[in-house]
Amino acid sequence: MTAIQVTWLREVRAFRGAFSCGVPVAAFLAACGWTFVMTLRRNEGSVLQIQSIWGLSIAPWLPLLSAVLTMRLFAEERSTGMIDLLMSSPIRERDLVIGKFLSAMTVMAVALLLSLTVPVLILPALSAPVQGTVRAAGFVATFLILFLQASTWCAAGTMISVFFRNQAAAAVGSLVLCSGLPVVAYAAVLAWVPSVRTEMAWMPLLVHVYDFSTGLFSTAILALYVMTTVFFLFGCSKLLACLRLRG
Amino acid sequence: MLEVDHITFSYGRHTVLNDVTFDVAPGEIVALTGANGAGKTTLLRVLACLLMQDSGSVRLDSVNPLLRPIKYRRGIGYLSEHCPLYSDMTVEAYLTYRVRLKGERSMRVRKRVSEALEMCGLDEVYKTRIRLLSHGYRKRVGLADALVQHPKLLLLDDPLAGLDVRQRKKTAAVLTAASSRAAIIVSGHEIHEMLEWCTRFVVLGKGRVTATYRTSDYSREELSRLLEQQVGSGAGGEVRS
Repeated sequence: MTAIQVTWLREVRAFRGAFSCGVPVAAFLAACGWTFVMTLRRNEGSVLQIQSIWGLSIAPWLPLLSAVLTMRLFAEERSTGMIDLLMSSPIRERDLVIGKFLSAMTVMAVALLLSLTVPVLILPALSAPVQGTVRAAGFVATFLILFLQASTWCAAGTMISVFFRNQAAAAVGSLVLCSGLPVVAYAAVLAWVPSVRTEMAWMPLLVHVYDFSTGLFSTAILALYVMTTVFFLFGCSKLLACLRLRG
Repeated sequence: MLEVDHITFSYGRHTVLNDVTFDVAPGEIVALTGANGAGKTTLLRVLACLLMQDSGSVRLDSVNPLLRPIKYRRGIGYLSEHCPLYSDMTVEAYLTYRVRLKGERSMRVRKRVSEALEMCGLDEVYKTRIRLLSHGYRKRVGLADALVQHPKLLLLDDPLAGLDVRQRKKTAAVLTAASSRAAIIVSGHEIHEMLEWCTRFVVLGKGRVTATYRTSDYSREELSRLLEQQVGSGAGGEVRS
């Protein structure tokens, strides 16, 4: 087994505890269900497809779930001192970071798959014409963009958790970076450049979800999320290496 | 085997290690002692690659940790002062995880773990969750972790702290046995006990090596008195060897 696999396995097992995984995922699903129903009601009679409504109701909650899942990854190791044992072991920081990131992504993927039960449970209650518009390919594309966004948030959360010994502080830091900053940036753009309000009626992050759910793929968007994820993971491994400079 | 050459380390303006030089031969058990704040833990952290020195060099069998960190770290076993462990795991699962993380081949993992369990007297508790263990047993698990992959150099930060007499004797026996295939650097304040099984004492005072003594060169009483003087004075006198 490689160091990445060993780390991944250990972290996935650690996630089995109710507080670090079960409760956040359950809360995420409940929030997604509520948002899905609300979005469905609000868009009654509109041309939005079911997979778009599903994607748009899940995307806002992803930063929150990723912050909770990733907050303990390094903050806990630093508070308990286990980081010393890991850093004195013959493994690269990169492997440690990737192993931990993949464990968070595993839980995230499970949560996203479980969130598919939201439309599955609600669809039978909808009218036959609506059910007829549901396409599996649309859901796959939506899942892909949600997964990519989740990977970016998880990578950012993993990096943020290196900064802190306190898990709550790491979660807040992650939320500020993944949720707060995009919202503030979006609001700032709208405030400073009023002329773009028509084109930017939605936040770009939600536009990406909508585009993918309707079949509008963009290589640039795919590359953006992959590159951002790699950037955060790279930053995380370098931050870990920096811990050696001053402990 | 281990060459520590003019190591200097500081936190900002506060110099913690100042021109520390010594070496350790295979089979030696070197006690690193000194007053609180003398720099023992920092020196061990530098040797364990947890801190990077400002100047000077460290070599383990000619391997420089700054140039070949993975190879260097493969040769060391480290026990931290507070002995952190994953409390949710059983002793056996934890050691298995650690051996795998250290890159041991799959077929040897079980053998390494059972050897370490036996050596550290953990056979009875190997299925017990770590959070249920006493402080003494937790220290033994930490020691087993440091020993598990047969490192060339063991770095043990205050392994006797908080242990009762029986546990200390057990730890001493484990270290004596381990010295047959590894050099050991152990920090601590328990001079009288370490006199029985350490081969050399390196005294640190204000970040400098203030004295080194081979236990074979002195009677136990004489060395005990000298060490107490050195540690008590904090700064120490001139370097002797």
